[in-house]
This record gives sequence, C-alpha cells and structure tokens, in this order.
Amino acid sequence: MATPTALPPLPFNPSRARSYLLRLPLFTRLVLLAALVFWLLELQTVWSVVQWGALTPNEINLGTMYRLNTYPLIHVGFFHFILNVVALTPLLERFEAEHGTLTAVALFIGPLSTLPAGLYLLIEKGIFNRNASVVGASVWVFLLLASEAIRTFKSHPYFSLGSTKIPTWTSPLFVCAVVSALVPNTSFLGHMCAIAVGYLLGLGYLKVFVPPEKILRWIEGKLNLLGRLPHYVSVDQKTFGRYGVLPTSAPVGDRPHQSAVVPPRSVVHLQIINNINWVYFPDRHQHQCREVTDLMALKSAIRKLRSNPQFLYVRLPYLLSFLCIVAGVVWLALLPLDDYSRRTYISENALLPGQVHAYFSGSEQNVFRGYKKEIESLLPASYHEVQESGVRDAEFTPVVSDKIQSILRAAGLKVATQNYEYSSSGITHQGQNTYAIINAPRGDATEAIVLVAAWKTADGELNLNGVTLALTLARYFKRWSLWSKDIIFVFPPDSKSGTQAWIDAYHDMQPASIQPLPLKSGALQGGLVIEYPFDHRFESIHIVYDGVNGQLPNLDLFNTAVAIAGGQMGIGASLQEMWDHKNDYRARLETILRGMLKQGLGYATGAHSSFMPYHIDAITLQPKGEGWQDEMALGRTVESLCRSLNNLLEHLHQSFFFYLLMHTNRFVSIGTYLPSAMLVAGNFTIMAIALWMRTGYKSRAAVKSSDEQSSDGKPSGEKPSDEKSEVEQKSSQTETKDATGTTERQLALPLSLVVGLHLLGLIPLYTFNNLSYKYYTPATYAYILADILLPIFLSALLTSSSTNTTTNPHQHHLIKSFSLLPLGLFLSTLATLNFSLSFIIGLLCTPLTFIHRIPKTASIPAPLRYALALTGLVLLNLLSPPVVLLAACTYSGTSVETVLTQAAFGWDVWGMWTQVVVWCVWWPAWLSGGALLGCSFF
Amino acid sequence: MSLDRRKAGVFAAAFLLRLLLIVLFPSLPDLLTGRVEVSTPVSSFKRLQEGLFLYTRNVSPYDGGVFHQAPLLLPIFALLPNSRDSPLPSVIFYSLIDLLNANALIAISDSGQAVSGRFYSALRKHIRWDGFAIAAWFLFNPFTIATCLGRSTMVFTTSGILYAVSSAVSGNSFNAMLALGWASYLSIYPALLFIPLVLLCYDVRAQRTKAAPGLAVFVLQHLAVLLLSVAGLLGMSFLIIGNFSQIISATYGFQLLVPDLTPNVGLWWYFFIEIFDSFREFFLGVFWLHLTAYVGGLTVRLRRQPLFVCTALLGVFAIFKPYPSISDASLFLALLPLYRHLFPLMRYTFFAVAAILYATLLGPAFYHLWIYAGSGNANFFYAITLVWSLGLSILLADTIFAALRDEWELENPHLRGKDVKQV
Repeated sequence: MATPTALPPLPFNPSRARSYLLRLPLFTRLVLLAALVFWLLELQTVWSVVQWGALTPNEINLGTMYRLNTYPLIHVGFFHFILNVVALTPLLERFEAEHGTLTAVALFIGPLSTLPAGLYLLIEKGIFNRNASVVGASVWVFLLLASEAIRTFKSHPYFSLGSTKIPTWTSPLFVCAVVSALVPNTSFLGHMCAIAVGYLLGLGYLKVFVPPEKILRWIEGKLNLLGRLPHYVSVDQKTFGRYGVLPTSAPVGDRPHQSAVVPPRSVVHLQIINNINWVYFPDRHQHQCREVTDLMALKSAIRKLRSNPQFLYVRLPYLLSFLCIVAGVVWLALLPLDDYSRRTYISENALLPGQVHAYFSGSEQNVFRGYKKEIESLLPASYHEVQESGVRDAEFTPVVSDKIQSILRAAGLKVATQNYEYSSSGITHQGQNTYAIINAPRGDATEAIVLVAAWKTADGELNLNGVTLALTLARYFKRWSLWSKDIIFVFPPDSKSGTQAWIDAYHDMQPASIQPLPLKSGALQGGLVIEYPFDHRFESIHIVYDGVNGQLPNLDLFNTAVAIAGGQMGIGASLQEMWDHKNDYRARLETILRGMLKQGLGYATGAHSSFMPYHIDAITLQPKGEGWQDEMALGRTVESLCRSLNNLLEHLHQSFFFYLLMHTNRFVSIGTYLPSAMLVAGNFTIMAIALWMRTGYKSRAAVKSSDEQSSDGKPSGEKPSDEKSEVEQKSSQTETKDATGTTERQLALPLSLVVGLHLLGLIPLYTFNNLSYKYYTPATYAYILADILLPIFLSALLTSSSTNTTTNPHQHHLIKSFSLLPLGLFLSTLATLNFSLSFIIGLLCTPLTFIHRIPKTASIPAPLRYALALTGLVLLNLLSPPVVLLAACTYSGTSVETVLTQAAFGWDVWGMWTQVVVWCVWWPAWLSGGALLGCSFF
Repeated sequence: MSLDRRKAGVFAAAFLLRLLLIVLFPSLPDLLTGRVEVSTPVSSFKRLQEGLFLYTRNVSPYDGGVFHQAPLLLPIFALLPNSRDSPLPSVIFYSLIDLLNANALIAISDSGQAVSGRFYSALRKHIRWDGFAIAAWFLFNPFTIATCLGRSTMVFTTSGILYAVSSAVSGNSFNAMLALGWASYLSIYPALLFIPLVLLCYDVRAQRTKAAPGLAVFVLQHLAVLLLSVAGLLGMSFLIIGNFSQIISATYGFQLLVPDLTPNVGLWWYFFIEIFDSFREFFLGVFWLHLTAYVGGLTVRLRRQPLFVCTALLGVFAIFKPYPSISDASLFLALLPLYRHLFPLMRYTFFAVAAILYATLLGPAFYHLWIYAGSGNANFFYAITLVWSLGLSILLADTIFAALRDEWELENPHLRGKDVKQV
C-alpha cells in the first residue's frame, strides 16, 4: 500500500509464481497430478506402487509392458518426488507450450518414455546382465534437458572457460555426472539413456513419431478439445511458440495496465494475456474471455478468503485445532503397525544376556525347601488354616525378621535393619526393612545390584516363595567369586512403602520418620524384584516395569529379562497383564493403552517403582499361570539377569528411557510417539494464539469493513451482528486504536482471573492430600457440587464486574486465550516427562478448545441460547475432574476412597505429582471454560 | 495520599506473599537456592554460606575456591543468624531489599524521564502506568520472587543499578555514581552503564539549570567519582580480607575469565564447554567484546533517550552476560513497563512471552531429565536456554524497534500510523 514506488521489486514475486502455476498447460498438469497420486498411493503399505510400476529388467514381459510407461510417474519418496517435479515442471511446460498438448501426449506416452526404457533394458540386461530397477520422472528431465541443449548448441555452439571451448551440448552430461555423484541411489545408466534419446529428439530424428499436423487438427476440430479442456494448448497456438509474442508488442496503449500501477500485478497479467489472445486469435476471443473471467473469479475468491478475517481468525483455528486432535489420536492408533514400531534389541553390548550357564539347580532346591520350612514354621497357625481358601495374609513379625537375618548371617552376609514409619491420610504405615550385602570379590564396593523380595507382593499376597528364593540365592551367590558388583538383598515387609523408605535412606534423602541405613554399598546399577506368591509351578514370567510418575527403566533391562527368560530358559514372558497376547493389531494397541494408563496415573506398580526416581533401572518378575516351570527356573533367570548386570561397565544408558511397549519384542520410541501428544497439546496453543490475534485484529477488520461499507455499500454479511456492533464502537474509540491497526487489549481482568484460578487449584490439591481417608468420598461429591456451581458463580461475577458490555466478548476471548495458553504449555512440557498423562489430560480437555460463550445474536433466540448453554454445561460437567474420577472408579470397580487414599499415599511417600497436573492444570482450564459457557446465561 | 496508601498496600502484600510462601513451603528457599536458573557461581547463596563459614573462622573466604563474590557482603551477612538453622531472617532481609528496589522503581517512574526527557517527548505519553503498578509488576513477578527466595546476591547488584538510575533521574548525579560504583564493585558489568547513565545525569542537570557545565568536564568529574567509589570499596575489602590479589583474581578474575561452566540460563557455558582450549582466550575476548559493543551503538543511536539505553542494555546483559540468571531478566522486565507507551508499537509481545513461558516450564523439566532422570542430556537444557534467550531477544529487539518507531513518528508526523518498510 504505502510501499514507495522507488523501491526495487522483490526478487521473488509470489503473485508471479502463482500466475505461473495457474497457467501451466494441460498435459503438464496431468503429469504432475499423476505423479502426486502415485506418490500418495505409495504412502499406504498394502500395495507397493514401486514394485508394481518400476522398470525392472527381469520383470519385463508381454504382460508387464505397462512398466515402460508407468515408471516415470512413480517416485520412491517425498524428496525424490518433489525434486523431480520441480525440475520437470518448467521443462515440460515449455515443451508442451511449443508443441501443443496433443503432440506432447503422443510423444510422452509413447516414444519418449518407451525409447529410453528400451535402451536402458537393452544395456542393463543385455550388456551388464544386472537387474537394477529404475523409477522416477528424472528420465524426462534429462531427456528434455538434452534436447534443449541441442537447441542451445545450434545457436551458441560453445561457451568458453578460460581458453578452452566447451561445446554446449555436453552440459546435460555434466549435470548427469554431478547428480549421480551427489545424490545417492541414482541410476547413471538410466539418465544416460534418457540423454541419448534427448539428443535424438533435439536433432530431429524422432520427428517420425510426431503425428502429422493434419490429423491433430482434425482430432482437435472434431472433438472441440479447445472448448472442452481447460489449459489446453492447441496445434495452432504452438506455431507461435513460447516466445513468439511479447506483451509489449501488443497494441494496448490505451489499456489501463500501462497507465498506472493501480491494479495488482496479476490482474495486469491477465489482461495482457487477454489482449494477446484477442489480437492474435480474434475468433477465440469469446472463449478466452470466459476463461479469463473464470480465472478472475477464482482469484478474487482466493484473495477474499485471505483477507477474510472471519475465516482466518474464527473458522481456521477451529479447523486446525480439530485437525491436530484427530491427527494426534490417529497417530497413536497407527503406532501398533509394523511400519511405525520396531523390534526390540539389546543396545548395550556389555549385557550379553543369556551367554552364561546358570548353575542354580539341583542341591539348591533342597536348600530352598529347607528355608521355606523354617520360615513357614514361624507363621501363625491361622496361615495354614486359611491356606486352602486361598486367602493368605501373614504379618511380617519380628520373629520372621530375626529368622531371615539369621539365615543371611549364616550364609556369611552382612545384615542390617531399618525401621520406618509413614503416615498418610490418617493411616500409619510402619515396618522394618531387613537387608544384607554380598561384598563383591572382584569389585571395590562402588557399584551394586539390588534384589528385592517383599514379604507382601504389590497385590497384597504373601510372597513366601519369593522371599525364600531370595534367601537361597543369597546363600548361592555368596559362594561365587565372579561378582564385580556388590549384591544387596532387601526384604521389605510390603511392596508399597518399604522399598521407598530403604532407597530414600540409601541416598540420605529420608524424612525424619525413617531411620538412616547403618550399612551401605556403592551406586546402584539395577534392581530386580522377585514375586512368587503361590506354591504351584508356573508357566510364564510377567514383567512389570512402570515406575512412579511414568518413569520407565532403560529398555535394555526389559529386553535382557525377555531375552533370558525366553531365549535361555524357555519361559515365556508377558507384560501389562496381557496373558493371551496374539500379537495382532488389537492386542498390541491394548497393550499400549494399558501401559499408557499405568504411566499416566503415575502410581507405583510394584516394589521396583521406587527405584526409578533415583535413576536406578528396576523391574519386577512375577511368575504367572499353571505350567511346569518351578522356582529353580525363576532362580536361574534371576541368576542369569544378575550375571548380565554384573557385566555392565557403566550405568545403563544405551537404550531408550522413553518407549511404549506393545509386545515383549516390539516397541515404539519417543521420537515416533511424541508427536501424538504434542499435536493434542498444540491444539490449545493454536487456539490461544488465534484468539490473541483475533482480539488485536478486530479493529483493523472493522476499519476496513467500515471503509468498504462507506465506499461501495457492500456489507460484510457473514459477520455476526454483535461483533459488528462491537467492532463499530471499537473503531469509534479512536484513542484506543493505534496507528498500526492493533488495539490495546484489556489484559488485567483476564490475566488475574486465569492466575487466580490456577492458584485456586491449590485448595483441592491440599484437601485431597491431607484429608483423612474417611472423608474422601464426601469430599469428591462436594467438589462435584462445587464444579457445578463455580462456573456459574464465576460467570455472574464476570458479567457484573465489567459494566461495559461491548468489551465483554473481547474479554472472553482473552480469558479463553490465557487459559488455553498455559494448558498447552503445561501439556507440551508434560509430554516430555510423562507422555501418557499429557495425552490423557489433553484428550479430556479437548472440548475446552471448542466451547465458548454463546453470543447474544438475533439468529439464536434467548431460550435456545439458554438451552444450549445448559446442555453445554451439563456435558462439560461430565468431563470435570471429580466426575471423571468417579466414572473411572465405577468402571473399574474400585472405590473412590481406595483410589484417593492410594493417590494421597503416592503424594506423601512416592513423590507422585499426578494430582498437581489434575488440580493445577486441568481443573483451572476446565473452570475457565465452564465460566465462559456460563456467561451465555447473562 | 491515596498513592502512598496503595504503595503501602502493594509493599505489604508483596512482603506477606514472600512470608506466606516460606511458611507454607519451608523447603522452597533451599530448593530455589540450588536451582541453576536462580543461582549462578557468582551469586549463589550456598557459595556465600561457604565463604561466610570460612570468614567467621578467620580463614580467607576465597581459599575454598568456591566463593567468588565481593568481600563486603561477608560482614553484612555475618550479622544475620545462620540461615541453615533459621532461613526466615535471611528471607526477610532479601524481601526488604526487594521492597527497596521497588521503591527506587517508583522514583524512576514518577520522574517521568521515561516518557519525556531533555530532547524528547513521547507521542503516547498518556498511556502509562503508575509507579505503584510498576512496583507491583516488579514485586509480583515470579522471577523476582524466585530470586528473592533463592537469596541470590544478584539482588544487591540490582538495587545498586536501580538506585543509580533513580538518583540520576532525580538529578542527584553524585549519588548515582556512588550507587553505580557499588553495583560495579559487586559484579563488574554494571560499569558498562556508565556512559548512558552519565548522559542521563547530564540531561537532567541541563534540564534543571540553564547554565550547565561542559559535557566533557561533567563526564570526567563523574568518572572520577565512580572510580573513587570503587576504589574506596576495594580498599575496605582489603581491610577485611587482606590479600588483595586474591580478592581480585577470585572475584573479578572469575567473572571475566569464566572458568566455572556450571549450567545457567545464558549462552556462554555450553559454548565454552565445547570449545577447544586453544581458542578459549580468543572467544572469551570476542564474547566480552560483543557484550560491550552494544553500549556505544545504543548510546549513539538513542542519544535522546539515555534511560531507554540503560533499559535496553540491562536486557542485553540479561541475555549475553557470562553468568546470567532469572534475576537479570526480572530486572529488565521490571524496567520495561516504564515504556508502557511503547507497548502499542510492539509487534511480537505474545510470541516473545510465549517463548519465555515455554522456556520457563521446559527448562526445569529438561534439567530434571538431564541431571536426575538421566534420560536426557545436556543438549536438552541447552536448547531451552537458547529458547529463553531467543524470547528475551525478541522482546528486547521489539522494544528497541518500538522506541525507534516512536522517535521516527515524532520526526515525521505526516507518516504517523502508516505502514513503513525499512530498506
């Protein structure tokens, strides 16, 4: 607009590029389209287009002659496609403009693809006897380049480089050499064949293949191709060639485009074309005029769309956000496919899983039985009585602890104990950890491996066999001289709190109620938890690997366990309680989703989970099913695992820490799955930015629209009337409107509201972590009630606080923008720490992008507005945090009290912060969304 | 009167908020003190404690090789009770200093130098915030609160700079130089503010009295005051510690040569970790030269707004100094609302703020992944410090653009509100 005319024009003019693209002739378009379609087809995995259509010497027979024609249209990847298309377009466009569409069709479908192909086949198969398949439009690129080079050669035979004169026809050869040197996987032979045929074409030897002009004219006349096909280059037109007509030679002196710079460049251009056509093809003027007006209409539609703020700032963000969410979910659904997941592999060479013979067998079984008898005899009599009914609950009494200690001491280990006490939601958890250390005969006590056998498993069952097995292993390991790392055996009374107390104290991070450890060793390299809560033999090993807050152990540890159990011991492995894993899409997806749910909730799934925050990789091994593997097999597995860990030269770091497992030997890594959560989180940011821009843009749009209205009286009809009125009032307030067309935004109220709501989230956070467990259920219902009332209260407050009703929509946009921005921020940050939680919360929050205050417009009558707002609020309330909690509890069949007690325990003991995300990220965003919807009532 | 009451309200609220935070979350000060974003090797409270321990036991505080801060801080902190046993007094002390800084900010704002000076009067004067709003913005800025609770000694430099500016705008150029001397004594880089600050003093003086002294004489006088004040402070340091060369090498040598490459939010540490030792001296020179180069350019180009030059330089320091922390950003952000009248001219505020917010959240997350979880590496955190610097740079460049645009519109009234392209 205000660009001075003296400025030099930009080197690249977008409108010229656009008009160039719009002027591409028909056959060029068809070729580009076909190449695009083939490339898109190649994206699916069922049918390989490349294999179908490539020019493969051995595949060519009478039935597959189509390959001679299809290969130039097929590409093997995006870059191959785009580079070839960019190179081909100007060449092909030029050829077609010079020779006409029909000739181009005849040549390119016929000899210009089959001749190089035949030549290639002849040389590749006949001379070299190889079978390299070629594909791609580069054959045409080189062919056309060669023919152009011959033409250049005719007018400028040489270009001189210093004193040497180089004939210009060699230039395609240089290009070919450079391309084959720089770009991998290019067929030098194929390009050379193309160049050879191109030379023939340029020298005119291929003229025989060109259909006679008479026939072409006849076809064209009969079928009225010029009238029917857009962008068709006629036989007549070709005689003028590309450079036959220069715009300046047209007698158009009185046309407006020469007089001033008033119309935009593209319009001038069109007029020039129009004039040219009129001058040279007076009989076709009518037709061309129609075409040009069509084009004009299309262009103006595009321009209108672009300068249409209603679309750009109101519709487009919704569309983009929606697309982001859909893409995020679809992305996740694609992960189980073979193309997006990978087979697991052992990345750390030092682990050498299953390379050693495990000697734990034979006489050790007698030791195992003896230990088991000794411990069983200490259990209360009731234990034996209820054994039959399956309920097995026996306290970890001091007597048992003493027995374990005496066994360990007898085996020659150093033994120590640790008392601890936690209290959470009015429940006290106390106990005594017993642990023992084998000092490494070949190490210096700087590194250690932990073996944990809790008296109670994560499910609360008595882990008698597991404890006995650990004791047997302790005695067995002590006699080996090959350990280079200390081995620590820990016997906590339960799986929830004992290991946490022990590991905290090991790193001197324990709270006051926990005793420090009297005996320590070096840095822990890995942890194994043994659970064996039944007496019968087992079938497979279930590996549990989720840590607190969704942290995962290094994938190498999991892989080692799978490799040893499956490969060396012949015991099957399973994960995520998928007992019957068929390794099809459904089972894989279900495994992923189960893993994501556990990761998202972030609770400790076993005794191993407590190790994760200290960067100690640990897993739990649980025997499952009825089979023929006995405790010795589990013992050998543990032995072999310990040997592998013993081999480690440095901390596990090679493999992935962020992964989703879908099968024991298939996974996706973070690079593949992260975009899904990022897309979901990104939708909020997109909306926030769009709303922010919209609030600043309004006045400018208003100025424009009011200008339009005053000048040509054409009202912009799509705009809702309230926006228009607001907009008009805005533009009348000239002092708030600034020079560059942005408005000052009233930030104080939206900012303080959003910050206040986030701070308000501390109240439920505090409540749910500090109440006694008895009050959890009523508290949940109280919060459900509060969630119903709070949005309405907030919206009433909002409406009454701002007396100026015209700024209201403006403020509402800002509130929504400010509440979505931190949501997007937090969720994308969270996605790097705990992908699943971010994804789940993101999905639950998606309605917040789309709900908004229903404006008071004439098109929506008040009753309908109230009804809509009411339905919206009810639906939104169904997605409020406490309701979702309640629904999830009902679905899974656990009581709210248990879940919340567990959550508070996690907060107090494990350092779990799922609650923080729920109450300080999700809930505030939900509240502001609800308040905005509630504003529709006022 | 009402302003005073509002001011008292803001101050009381800010003070109470800090007390509330430490009462509700007793572990917060220690947590923040350990964060690399808050505490740098030259401002860490932990290192100060170490120096203090040695100092109170009559050992040279620099012997441990940990403490690199100015010696005069030691006697001040020796008066406070041991902060390990009772963190409350130290937090109260720091909160009071925050309030003093806010007070200086109010003085700067009330002088109106930001909107109209000797040569210059902004177009949109009416768009501005009260002093108390600016003080509130400073006091309730999370970065300021984090710095206060993290007890970074950078706040003393901050107050030195703010008092220098507030004395300069109120015409008390002698005090301004003393305050700048204090700030420069603590951490040398504020000395770079000398040129714009002395110009500011001169402009204020020339505005007040018609017969102003010559500029050269004025500058030399004030340079002498600055040097004398620094020399005086160094002399006192010598009296306290005794070993002068040790003081210099442990404090200024440490700040200039950047031997400690503990991660921070700046751009130096990663670069100097990666660089080969043989190039280290050269790039050290280049980095310092880069930092100082802004002084001349900005001062010349924006000669008519010396206070704005100070603000912009503080923004440059927050990005490019060797050991930056969030307290430097908070100082820059504190001075920004003085230029409320430029906000309508700024173009990328939302994106700059979004980048800063992203960096604020992702920084600790990636640091956690790197240091604690072990699942990330140094590049994670470094990438975020780049984003942080990018956000601040966008904000700074946008502010400078707005200031230039404002000047330009003043010169070309007929082009006010028109789209103009720079070629």
